Amino acid sequence: MSIDTDIEEAHDDTERVSLWDRVGRPVAPFAWPLTLAGAVVLGAGCFLSWSYTSDVLGDLSIDFYPGAVQILMIITAVLAVLFALMYRGPLSHLGEWLSSATALRTLGLGSTIFMALVIALIAIQSGGLVNVMPGAWVSFAGAVILLIGSAGLTPRAHRDPLHASLPSWVEILTIVVLLAIVLFGVAYVLGIDDGTVFSLVVLFVGIVCLALARAGFFTWVGVIAQTHRRVLMLGAVAVALLFPFTQGGSDANMSIATQVLIFAATALGLNIVVGLAGLLDLGYIAFLGAGAYVGATMSYSTFATIGWKPPFLVVMLIGGCVSATLGLIIGSPTLRVSGDYLAIVTLAFGEIFRLSMGNLDGQDGPKLTNGPNGIPAIPDLEIGSFNFGETHDVLGITLGRFANYYFALLVLLAFVITVFTRLNNSRIGRGWIAIREDEKAAEAMGVNTFALKLFAFAGGAFLAGLAGTIKAHHDVSVTPDQFIFLESAFLLAAVVLGGMGTVAGVLIGATILKLLPEKLRFVADYRLLIFGLLLVVMMRFRPEGIIASKRRQLEFHEADEELATRIEEVHLVEEQEAKA
Amino acid sequence: MTELLQQLVNGLTLGSLYALIAVGYTVVYGIIQLINFAHGEIFMIGAFGALATWTLLFEGTTALWVLPIMLLGAVIASVTTAVLMERFAYRPLRGAPRLAPLITAIGISVALQEAIRLFYPGAKSKIPFPQIDVVTGPALTFGGVTVQRAAVFTVGALLMSAAFLWWFINRTRSGHGMQAVSEDPDTARLMGVNVDRIIVIAFAIGALLAAIAGLAQGLLNANIDFRMGFLAGLKAFTAAVLGGIGNIMGAVVGGLVLGVAEALAVGFIPGQFGGSAWKDVWAFVLLIVVLVFRPQGILGARVVDRA
Repeated sequence: MSIDTDIEEAHDDTERVSLWDRVGRPVAPFAWPLTLAGAVVLGAGCFLSWSYTSDVLGDLSIDFYPGAVQILMIITAVLAVLFALMYRGPLSHLGEWLSSATALRTLGLGSTIFMALVIALIAIQSGGLVNVMPGAWVSFAGAVILLIGSAGLTPRAHRDPLHASLPSWVEILTIVVLLAIVLFGVAYVLGIDDGTVFSLVVLFVGIVCLALARAGFFTWVGVIAQTHRRVLMLGAVAVALLFPFTQGGSDANMSIATQVLIFAATALGLNIVVGLAGLLDLGYIAFLGAGAYVGATMSYSTFATIGWKPPFLVVMLIGGCVSATLGLIIGSPTLRVSGDYLAIVTLAFGEIFRLSMGNLDGQDGPKLTNGPNGIPAIPDLEIGSFNFGETHDVLGITLGRFANYYFALLVLLAFVITVFTRLNNSRIGRGWIAIREDEKAAEAMGVNTFALKLFAFAGGAFLAGLAGTIKAHHDVSVTPDQFIFLESAFLLAAVVLGGMGTVAGVLIGATILKLLPEKLRFVADYRLLIFGLLLVVMMRFRPEGIIASKRRQLEFHEADEELATRIEEVHLVEEQEAKA
Repeated sequence: MTELLQQLVNGLTLGSLYALIAVGYTVVYGIIQLINFAHGEIFMIGAFGALATWTLLFEGTTALWVLPIMLLGAVIASVTTAVLMERFAYRPLRGAPRLAPLITAIGISVALQEAIRLFYPGAKSKIPFPQIDVVTGPALTFGGVTVQRAAVFTVGALLMSAAFLWWFINRTRSGHGMQAVSEDPDTARLMGVNVDRIIVIAFAIGALLAAIAGLAQGLLNANIDFRMGFLAGLKAFTAAVLGGIGNIMGAVVGGLVLGVAEALAVGFIPGQFGGSAWKDVWAFVLLIVVLVFRPQGILGARVVDRA
């Protein structure tokens, strides 16, 4: 998570009063005991039975044997107790650094909503409120007490985590623990088949992340991630490599994971164009499509129309180059048009690509793509003697077809991320950002705007083309309607939701957009509606995305003086560290 | 010769439809420099509004007198959607970086299509549109050239709408306000023009014409579906650019030119790349060529700085 603006507000403590003080009731001394009691009651209720029948939300019907949903609330309760002890008590020295009162409020509100939802779900799924056992009511009461108690706590000014200096092994350990939580958390979440339980877990993760973010925890994590960049990178690579081994040979989740990787690699390419150079491209899926068609027509499929079958790495390169050439063609109007017009030109190019692929069937044009039927039955990849369709046993765990593609795509993604970050930190990247901020000023400063804009298009397209060639084999068939405008909109949404110009943001955006529809099958029909509304709401309330690049954030909140000062401060500290 | 005339007639019909939708893009763009990407959906909702009115009130009737009431239903549906959209999605984003409203527009567009697909009974596939006496029925022939009755209706609707627009912009207070705001919003505000109201009016006018187009499209094709707004909207945007975006009469001219160009491309481009399979491609090629080489359009844009 990036810088949380709430922390800055906490500095002027004269403004900060508890919510109880506002209503004017002198009961503040009871707030803290009430909060602690609420947390304990919430946790205690989880050990009792919640539901009379055992078939709702996993099994919640046994006393002193908490089910999955109950464990989530136990974790919440433990966190709440910890934060309460930070507010006053043995952990109060930590309370100087973290804004425990705000975190407690978030946890209180979140757990109340969560418990209300659980009770409603039990009542609906097992036919009536009679089936809700006392345990659920105890926990609900605990959550409400926690909410009321935390409203009486006064948020105090706390110190900026930027200046926290802990022994570096503690920091590294934190990173490792967090990454381990991510690995096992993701493996656990993916293993949930029940859509309602899955939604509850997502809600829980949201509550906890929000509470930690509001406490200022993630600001500190951001700082230590900066200082231990190498550890973080190594850890992230390790987590990504270990993930297939947590799946126990099942291909179901691996297929989702590979889709996420293809999507993420393409979205990162788009992030160069949109996030760095600030050129809006609404037809980006065409580049992935060009790569996929190259991969398909040069494959050993009986429907492939090109007789030449070079090794796959050559095909990949050709796919990338064809895409990059298309990128040059599409990018060339940028010499003359910009802004909204460019968006429309690229949209038109995207549509032309899709329509042309549908027409080149030998009847309305040269026979190249088999028209609307596309190229089916593309065989699995074979690099050397390694066939991607076969399963392999490593350390007693079976890795299936999708796991093979997963590793290949991971290599591709690592390459794409390297290219992206290298470019971003180079003269070229600074040129792009200058163009994005003010093209005329950049040109006046000697930035070769036309060449750089063309390069953004061609480079981004090249990366998407590489991903496309693998996609062709992964998906088994390539048809024009895999490349409709909606897919471009999805890619753009991944970039925008995650955070433009950042790597982590795009990865998270891609994961959210590909994973949620797969898991939330019960709202499958409504997913596009939700997607559309999500875009609108996001643009309204957090246009800079979930993980915002600091510069971007300032662009969207120009009037926010505090944010500007904060960014400057962070920058100064980073510079000092670089000198030291 | 007959062939050419026939294609011209087809082109003018199609062009009138594009022109009616294009006005919506151009009016809004002229005032707040926003490409209302969701305008195609307003057109689609107009068609569904007309259909809903007919199904609810006159199921089975084909008399001509239901047509004005259907039109009223279409206009209410479109204008309400457009005004709500402006109020709750676009207005909070005024002054935000230009990327924000464009992405919002894509979001609205997807959401509206899906809302119709999910909640309008039977809208998951094409729905038959009622056929009304006089404006639909056996085609008219003039010396070998066939003219659909609905085509006459469409062209007539365009002519009346254009006359109405001319009157509205040049002869009413609100019209003068629109002109003032598109010239210089800040000065207009200082002169006492209620800019927010003018923007709402611009959205409403665009929606009004889109609703007419929706009804006309239903009569022409005899069926409608929830996807019809995307392509029509894109073509209409092309038309608006072709005529010079921000220039209202330009949108009408642009629409007619695009329609005729498309019809001629279908009829007269020889070989494999002609024919109806490629007509959308040629329309988009035209869009790109115009945007790149003459972004100010045929009649000249009012806002050239954006190009």
